[in-house]
Amino acid sequence: MDSKRFSLEEFAALFPGRFESQEQLLREYRSFLAVFEHLEQMPVPALSAREKAEIFRQSWQNSKRDWSWAWTWLSVFRRPAVTFAMGIVLGCTLVFIVLSGRAEPAVPVPLLGPAVVAQMPLTVERTRYTQVYKGELIERMYPQIENPKIVLEKTKESATPQRVLYGTLDGGEVYVVWNL
Amino acid sequence: MARYDSNSDEALIEAIQRGDGDAAACLYHRHIDRVHRICCRIVLDSSQAPDCVQEVWLKVFRNLGRFRCERSFTAWLNAVAANTAIDYYRRTTRQGHHADIDEIGAESLVADEEPAESPFDGPTVRRQVREALEDVSVNQRTALVLRYFEDMPVPEIARVLQCREGTVRTHIRRCLLALRAKLATRLNQEVQKYGQ
Repeated sequence: MDSKRFSLEEFAALFPGRFESQEQLLREYRSFLAVFEHLEQMPVPALSAREKAEIFRQSWQNSKRDWSWAWTWLSVFRRPAVTFAMGIVLGCTLVFIVLSGRAEPAVPVPLLGPAVVAQMPLTVERTRYTQVYKGELIERMYPQIENPKIVLEKTKESATPQRVLYGTLDGGEVYVVWNL
Repeated sequence: MARYDSNSDEALIEAIQRGDGDAAACLYHRHIDRVHRICCRIVLDSSQAPDCVQEVWLKVFRNLGRFRCERSFTAWLNAVAANTAIDYYRRTTRQGHHADIDEIGAESLVADEEPAESPFDGPTVRRQVREALEDVSVNQRTALVLRYFEDMPVPEIARVLQCREGTVRTHIRRCLLALRAKLATRLNQEVQKYGQ
Protein backbone atom coordinates (compact mmCIF):
# COMPACT_ATOMS: atom_id res chain seq x y z
CA MET A 1 0.00 0.00 0.00
CA ASP A 2 1.47 3.29 -0.97
CA SER A 3 0.56 6.89 -0.30
CA LYS A 4 -0.91 7.15 -3.81
CA ARG A 5 -3.81 4.91 -2.81
CA PHE A 6 -4.28 6.27 0.67
CA SER A 7 -3.78 9.88 -0.22
CA LEU A 8 -3.43 12.70 2.25
CA GLU A 9 -6.62 14.24 0.85
CA GLU A 10 -8.58 11.06 1.50
CA PHE A 11 -7.12 10.78 4.98
CA ALA A 12 -8.13 14.38 5.74
CA ALA A 13 -11.63 13.64 4.42
CA LEU A 14 -11.88 10.54 6.63
CA PHE A 15 -10.95 12.49 9.75
CA PRO A 16 -12.42 15.94 9.18
CA GLY A 17 -11.70 18.63 11.78
CA ARG A 18 -9.73 16.33 14.05
CA PHE A 19 -6.35 17.93 13.77
CA GLU A 20 -5.35 21.31 15.06
CA SER A 21 -2.43 21.86 12.73
CA GLN A 22 -1.10 20.67 9.42
CA GLU A 23 1.88 19.21 11.26
CA GLN A 24 -0.37 17.03 13.44
CA LEU A 25 -2.32 15.95 10.37
CA LEU A 26 0.90 14.87 8.63
CA ARG A 27 2.12 13.03 11.73
CA GLU A 28 -1.14 11.10 12.03
CA TYR A 29 -1.20 10.42 8.31
CA ARG A 30 2.28 8.87 8.52
CA SER A 31 1.20 6.66 11.41
CA PHE A 32 -1.69 5.32 9.29
CA LEU A 33 0.64 4.75 6.36
CA ALA A 34 2.62 2.52 8.72
CA VAL A 35 -0.57 0.51 9.34
CA PHE A 36 -0.92 0.03 5.59
CA GLU A 37 2.70 -1.08 5.38
CA HIS A 38 1.91 -3.78 7.94
CA LEU A 39 -1.19 -4.80 5.97
CA GLU A 40 0.95 -5.09 2.87
CA GLN A 41 3.05 -7.69 4.68
CA MET A 42 0.10 -10.07 4.61
CA PRO A 43 0.11 -11.13 0.98
CA VAL A 44 -2.57 -13.34 -0.51
CA PRO A 45 -1.20 -16.74 -1.58
CA ALA A 46 -2.00 -17.37 -5.23
CA LEU A 47 -4.25 -20.22 -6.32
CA SER A 48 -2.46 -22.93 -8.27
CA ALA A 49 -3.51 -23.65 -11.86
CA ARG A 50 -4.93 -27.00 -10.70
CA GLU A 51 -7.02 -25.34 -7.97
CA LYS A 52 -8.31 -22.75 -10.43
CA ALA A 53 -9.27 -25.44 -12.94
CA GLU A 54 -11.02 -27.50 -10.26
CA ILE A 55 -12.99 -24.53 -8.92
CA PHE A 56 -14.12 -23.66 -12.44
CA ARG A 57 -15.08 -27.24 -13.26
CA GLN A 58 -17.15 -27.62 -10.06
CA SER A 59 -18.93 -24.30 -10.22
CA TRP A 60 -19.65 -24.44 -13.97
CA GLN A 61 -20.95 -28.00 -13.85
CA ASN A 62 -23.14 -27.37 -10.83
CA SER A 63 -24.56 -24.21 -12.33
CA LYS A 64 -25.22 -25.99 -15.64
CA ARG A 65 -27.08 -28.71 -13.80
CA ASP A 66 -29.45 -26.08 -12.40
CA TRP A 67 -29.71 -24.35 -15.74
CA SER A 68 -30.45 -27.51 -17.67
CA TRP A 69 -33.41 -28.23 -15.37
CA ALA A 70 -34.72 -24.69 -15.72
CA TRP A 71 -34.09 -24.58 -19.46
CA THR A 72 -35.89 -27.88 -20.01
CA TRP A 73 -39.00 -26.44 -18.42
CA LEU A 74 -38.62 -23.09 -20.10
CA SER A 75 -38.11 -24.66 -23.52
CA VAL A 76 -41.25 -26.77 -23.05
CA PHE A 77 -43.33 -23.67 -22.32
CA ARG A 78 -41.69 -21.69 -25.10
CA ARG A 79 -42.98 -24.05 -27.84
CA PRO A 80 -45.90 -22.35 -29.66
CA ALA A 81 -48.00 -25.51 -29.81
CA VAL A 82 -47.65 -26.08 -26.07
CA THR A 83 -48.39 -22.45 -25.31
CA PHE A 84 -51.47 -22.59 -27.57
CA ALA A 85 -52.72 -25.78 -25.93
CA MET A 86 -52.12 -24.31 -22.47
CA GLY A 87 -54.11 -21.23 -23.49
CA ILE A 88 -57.03 -23.36 -24.67
CA VAL A 89 -57.03 -25.42 -21.47
CA LEU A 90 -56.81 -22.31 -19.33
CA GLY A 91 -59.61 -20.62 -21.29
CA CYS A 92 -61.88 -23.67 -21.04
CA THR A 93 -61.24 -23.90 -17.32
CA LEU A 94 -62.14 -20.24 -16.83
CA VAL A 95 -65.32 -20.57 -18.94
CA PHE A 96 -66.32 -23.67 -17.00
CA ILE A 97 -65.82 -21.89 -13.68
CA VAL A 98 -67.83 -18.86 -14.81
CA LEU A 99 -70.69 -20.90 -16.29
CA SER A 100 -70.96 -23.31 -13.39
CA GLY A 101 -71.17 -20.31 -11.09
CA ARG A 102 -74.10 -18.94 -13.14
CA ALA A 103 -76.00 -22.25 -13.37
CA GLU A 104 -76.13 -22.64 -9.64
CA PRO A 105 -75.98 -19.20 -8.11
CA ALA A 106 -74.86 -18.93 -4.57
CA VAL A 107 -77.68 -18.57 -2.10
CA PRO A 108 -77.41 -15.03 -0.83
CA VAL A 109 -79.10 -15.55 2.53
CA PRO A 110 -76.11 -16.25 4.74
CA LEU A 111 -74.18 -13.36 3.27
CA LEU A 112 -76.85 -10.72 3.80
CA GLY A 113 -77.53 -8.82 6.96
CA PRO A 114 -80.81 -9.26 8.89
CA ALA A 115 -82.40 -6.06 7.54
CA VAL A 116 -81.87 -7.19 3.96
CA VAL A 117 -83.13 -10.69 4.72
CA ALA A 118 -86.35 -9.27 6.14
CA GLN A 119 -87.05 -7.49 2.88
CA MET A 120 -86.56 -10.57 0.70
CA PRO A 121 -89.96 -12.00 -0.46
CA LEU A 122 -88.57 -15.51 -0.64
CA THR A 123 -85.37 -17.01 0.62
CA VAL A 124 -84.13 -20.49 -0.09
CA GLU A 125 -81.63 -22.41 1.96
CA ARG A 126 -80.17 -25.44 0.23
CA THR A 127 -78.30 -28.38 1.57
CA ARG A 128 -77.62 -31.64 -0.22
CA TYR A 129 -81.00 -33.25 0.57
CA THR A 130 -83.18 -30.35 1.74
CA GLN A 131 -84.42 -26.99 0.48
CA VAL A 132 -86.05 -24.59 2.93
CA TYR A 133 -88.36 -21.85 1.54
CA LYS A 134 -89.35 -19.01 3.80
CA GLY A 135 -90.00 -15.31 3.77
CA GLU A 136 -92.83 -12.89 3.01
CA LEU A 137 -94.21 -14.91 0.14
CA ILE A 138 -94.70 -18.01 2.29
CA GLU A 139 -96.19 -15.90 5.09
CA ARG A 140 -98.76 -14.51 2.63
CA MET A 141 -99.65 -18.03 1.53
CA TYR A 142 -100.23 -19.19 5.11
CA PRO A 143 -101.28 -16.06 7.06
CA GLN A 144 -102.65 -18.08 10.05
CA ILE A 145 -99.33 -19.76 10.72
CA GLU A 146 -96.48 -18.01 12.48
CA ASN A 147 -92.97 -18.23 10.96
CA PRO A 148 -94.05 -20.58 8.22
CA LYS A 149 -91.46 -22.41 6.16
CA ILE A 150 -91.77 -25.08 3.54
CA VAL A 151 -89.13 -27.78 3.59
CA LEU A 152 -88.49 -30.01 0.58
CA GLU A 153 -86.72 -33.05 1.91
CA LYS A 154 -85.27 -36.09 0.15
CA THR A 155 -84.12 -39.27 1.83
CA LYS A 156 -81.62 -39.95 -0.97
CA GLU A 157 -80.35 -38.31 -4.14
CA SER A 158 -82.81 -40.03 -6.54
CA ALA A 159 -85.88 -39.97 -4.22
CA THR A 160 -88.90 -37.69 -4.80
CA PRO A 161 -88.79 -34.76 -2.38
CA GLN A 162 -91.38 -34.63 0.39
CA ARG A 163 -92.90 -31.19 1.06
CA VAL A 164 -93.62 -30.25 4.66
CA LEU A 165 -94.85 -26.98 6.12
CA TYR A 166 -93.44 -26.07 9.51
CA GLY A 167 -94.59 -23.22 11.74
CA THR A 168 -96.32 -22.34 15.01
CA LEU A 169 -99.73 -21.11 16.25
CA ASP A 170 -100.93 -19.08 19.29
CA GLY A 171 -97.67 -17.29 19.90
CA GLY A 172 -95.59 -20.43 19.66
CA GLU A 173 -97.86 -22.52 21.87
CA VAL A 174 -98.70 -24.99 19.07
CA TYR A 175 -96.10 -26.43 16.72
CA VAL A 176 -97.39 -27.17 13.17
CA VAL A 177 -96.03 -29.89 10.90
CA TRP A 178 -98.12 -30.29 7.78
CA ASN A 179 -97.32 -32.67 4.94
CA LEU A 180 -98.23 -30.86 1.74
CA MET B 1 -10.84 -20.21 -25.29
CA ALA B 2 -8.28 -17.94 -26.96
CA ARG B 3 -10.90 -16.85 -29.49
CA TYR B 4 -12.67 -15.03 -26.67
CA ASP B 5 -9.65 -13.25 -25.22
CA SER B 6 -10.36 -9.98 -26.99
CA ASN B 7 -14.08 -10.04 -26.21
CA SER B 8 -15.60 -7.72 -23.66
CA ASP B 9 -17.14 -9.08 -20.47
CA GLU B 10 -20.59 -8.26 -21.83
CA ALA B 11 -19.99 -10.29 -25.02
CA LEU B 12 -18.76 -13.20 -22.90
CA ILE B 13 -21.83 -12.98 -20.67
CA GLU B 14 -24.13 -13.15 -23.70
CA ALA B 15 -22.25 -16.24 -24.89
CA ILE B 16 -22.45 -17.81 -21.42
CA GLN B 17 -26.18 -17.19 -21.32
CA ARG B 18 -26.36 -19.34 -24.46
CA GLY B 19 -24.49 -22.07 -22.56
CA ASP B 20 -20.97 -21.50 -23.97
CA GLY B 21 -18.46 -23.12 -21.61
CA ASP B 22 -15.40 -21.60 -23.31
CA ALA B 23 -16.77 -18.11 -22.75
CA ALA B 24 -17.40 -19.01 -19.11
CA ALA B 25 -13.81 -20.21 -18.73
CA CYS B 26 -12.48 -17.03 -20.30
CA LEU B 27 -14.56 -14.80 -18.02
CA TYR B 28 -13.54 -16.91 -15.02
CA HIS B 29 -9.81 -16.71 -15.75
CA ARG B 30 -10.07 -12.98 -16.36
CA HIS B 31 -11.45 -12.33 -12.86
CA ILE B 32 -10.48 -15.29 -10.67
CA ASP B 33 -7.43 -13.67 -9.07
CA ARG B 34 -9.37 -10.61 -7.92
CA VAL B 35 -12.21 -12.75 -6.53
CA HIS B 36 -9.68 -14.90 -4.68
CA ARG B 37 -7.95 -11.82 -3.24
CA ILE B 38 -11.26 -10.41 -1.96
CA CYS B 39 -12.27 -13.75 -0.44
CA CYS B 40 -8.88 -14.27 1.22
CA ARG B 41 -8.80 -10.81 2.75
CA ILE B 42 -12.34 -11.02 4.12
CA VAL B 43 -12.36 -14.68 5.19
CA LEU B 44 -8.78 -14.36 6.55
CA ASP B 45 -8.09 -18.04 6.05
CA SER B 46 -6.29 -19.03 2.89
CA SER B 47 -7.17 -22.71 3.38
CA GLN B 48 -10.89 -21.91 3.24
CA ALA B 49 -10.67 -19.30 0.50
CA PRO B 50 -10.98 -21.80 -2.41
CA ASP B 51 -14.33 -23.03 -1.01
CA CYS B 52 -15.52 -19.45 -0.73
CA VAL B 53 -14.29 -18.66 -4.26
CA GLN B 54 -16.20 -21.67 -5.58
CA GLU B 55 -19.37 -20.41 -3.88
CA VAL B 56 -18.85 -17.03 -5.54
CA TRP B 57 -18.50 -18.51 -9.03
CA LEU B 58 -21.43 -20.83 -8.55
CA LYS B 59 -23.58 -17.80 -7.68
CA VAL B 60 -22.15 -15.87 -10.62
CA PHE B 61 -22.88 -18.59 -13.18
CA ARG B 62 -26.33 -19.22 -11.71
CA ASN B 63 -27.31 -15.57 -11.69
CA LEU B 64 -25.70 -14.33 -14.90
CA GLY B 65 -29.14 -14.45 -16.50
CA ARG B 66 -30.26 -11.69 -14.13
CA PHE B 67 -27.20 -9.53 -14.76
CA ARG B 68 -28.02 -6.36 -16.67
CA CYS B 69 -25.26 -5.03 -18.91
CA GLU B 70 -25.99 -1.40 -17.97
CA ARG B 71 -23.99 -2.08 -14.81
CA SER B 72 -20.28 -2.90 -14.80
CA PHE B 73 -19.71 -6.63 -14.53
CA THR B 74 -16.62 -6.06 -12.38
CA ALA B 75 -18.62 -4.03 -9.87
CA TRP B 76 -21.33 -6.69 -9.80
CA LEU B 77 -18.75 -9.47 -9.39
CA ASN B 78 -16.98 -7.59 -6.58
CA ALA B 79 -20.32 -7.22 -4.82
CA VAL B 80 -21.11 -10.94 -5.17
CA ALA B 81 -17.59 -11.87 -3.97
CA ALA B 82 -17.66 -9.53 -0.97
CA ASN B 83 -21.14 -10.55 0.16
CA THR B 84 -20.41 -14.25 -0.29
CA ALA B 85 -17.16 -13.89 1.67
CA ILE B 86 -18.94 -12.00 4.48
CA ASP B 87 -21.59 -14.74 4.71
CA TYR B 88 -18.92 -17.45 4.53
CA TYR B 89 -16.87 -15.83 7.30
CA ARG B 90 -19.93 -15.42 9.56
CA ARG B 91 -21.03 -19.00 8.91
CA THR B 92 -17.64 -20.56 9.58
CA THR B 93 -17.04 -18.38 12.64
CA ARG B 94 -20.46 -19.28 14.07
CA GLN B 95 -19.87 -22.98 13.43
CA GLY B 96 -16.39 -22.73 14.92
CA HIS B 97 -14.84 -24.09 11.71
CA HIS B 98 -12.64 -21.12 11.19
CA ALA B 99 -9.16 -22.56 10.99
CA ASP B 100 -6.72 -21.08 13.42
CA ILE B 101 -3.76 -22.51 11.65
CA ASP B 102 -3.70 -21.66 8.00
CA GLU B 103 -0.79 -21.36 5.72
CA ILE B 104 0.31 -18.08 7.25
CA GLY B 105 -0.42 -19.14 10.80
CA ALA B 106 1.50 -22.40 10.44
CA GLU B 107 4.40 -20.52 8.99
CA SER B 108 4.40 -18.13 11.91
CA LEU B 109 4.12 -20.96 14.46
CA VAL B 110 7.14 -22.64 12.98
CA ALA B 111 8.92 -19.32 13.12
CA ASP B 112 7.86 -18.86 16.77
CA GLU B 113 9.85 -21.92 17.74
CA GLU B 114 13.01 -20.23 16.64
CA PRO B 115 14.33 -18.26 19.61
CA ALA B 116 16.19 -15.68 17.60
CA GLU B 117 13.08 -14.43 15.86
CA SER B 118 12.70 -10.67 15.79
CA PRO B 119 9.29 -9.07 16.43
CA PHE B 120 9.62 -7.35 13.11
CA ASP B 121 10.21 -10.54 11.18
CA GLY B 122 7.72 -11.21 8.40
CA PRO B 123 5.86 -14.19 9.94
CA THR B 124 5.34 -12.49 13.32
CA VAL B 125 4.12 -9.28 11.78
CA ARG B 126 1.82 -11.25 9.48
CA ARG B 127 0.35 -13.10 12.44
CA GLN B 128 -0.14 -9.86 14.35
CA VAL B 129 -1.76 -8.20 11.35
CA ARG B 130 -4.05 -11.14 10.84
CA GLU B 131 -5.11 -11.20 14.49
CA ALA B 132 -5.71 -7.47 14.40
CA LEU B 133 -7.85 -7.87 11.26
CA GLU B 134 -9.84 -10.65 12.92
CA ASP B 135 -10.61 -8.33 15.81
CA VAL B 136 -12.39 -5.74 13.67
CA SER B 137 -15.90 -6.41 12.40
CA VAL B 138 -16.28 -8.14 9.06
CA ASN B 139 -18.12 -5.14 7.59
CA GLN B 140 -15.35 -2.76 8.64
CA ARG B 141 -12.76 -5.12 7.19
CA THR B 142 -14.71 -5.48 3.94
CA ALA B 143 -14.99 -1.70 3.55
CA LEU B 144 -11.23 -1.35 4.04
CA VAL B 145 -10.38 -4.19 1.64
CA LEU B 146 -12.68 -2.97 -1.11
CA ARG B 147 -11.56 0.64 -0.80
CA TYR B 148 -7.79 0.29 -0.51
CA PHE B 149 -6.99 -3.13 -1.93
CA GLU B 150 -9.53 -3.24 -4.74
CA ASP B 151 -9.71 0.51 -5.30
CA MET B 152 -13.51 0.50 -5.24
CA PRO B 153 -15.21 3.90 -4.87
CA VAL B 154 -17.14 4.56 -1.67
CA PRO B 155 -20.60 4.71 -3.36
CA GLU B 156 -19.97 1.26 -4.86
CA ILE B 157 -18.96 -0.12 -1.45
CA ALA B 158 -22.12 1.39 0.02
CA ARG B 159 -24.15 -0.58 -2.53
CA VAL B 160 -22.26 -3.79 -1.69
CA LEU B 161 -22.75 -3.39 2.06
CA GLN B 162 -26.26 -1.97 1.60
CA CYS B 163 -25.58 1.05 3.73
CA ARG B 164 -25.01 4.78 3.28
CA GLU B 165 -21.75 6.28 2.05
CA GLY B 166 -21.25 7.94 5.42
CA THR B 167 -21.49 4.54 7.09
CA VAL B 168 -18.80 3.17 4.76
CA ARG B 169 -16.48 6.05 5.72
CA THR B 170 -17.23 5.37 9.39
CA HIS B 171 -16.41 1.67 8.87
CA ILE B 172 -13.09 2.57 7.25
CA ARG B 173 -12.23 5.16 9.91
CA ARG B 174 -13.01 2.79 12.80
CA CYS B 175 -11.16 -0.05 11.11
CA LEU B 176 -8.04 2.05 10.62
CA LEU B 177 -8.12 3.38 14.19
CA ALA B 178 -8.61 -0.13 15.59
CA LEU B 179 -5.86 -1.59 13.44
CA ARG B 180 -3.42 1.14 14.41
CA ALA B 181 -4.18 0.69 18.11
CA LYS B 182 -4.08 -3.12 18.00
CA LEU B 183 -0.94 -3.32 15.91
CA ALA B 184 0.84 -0.80 18.10
CA THR B 185 -0.09 -2.73 21.27
CA ARG B 186 0.77 -6.13 19.83
CA LEU B 187 4.04 -5.07 18.30
CA ASN B 188 5.02 -3.30 21.53
CA GLN B 189 4.30 -6.51 23.46
CA GLU B 190 6.45 -8.43 21.00
CA VAL B 191 9.23 -5.88 21.39
CA GLN B 192 9.09 -6.23 25.19
CA LYS B 193 9.07 -10.03 24.95
CA TYR B 194 11.97 -9.88 22.55
CA GLY B 195 13.82 -7.47 24.85
CA GLN B 196 13.60 -9.88 27.78
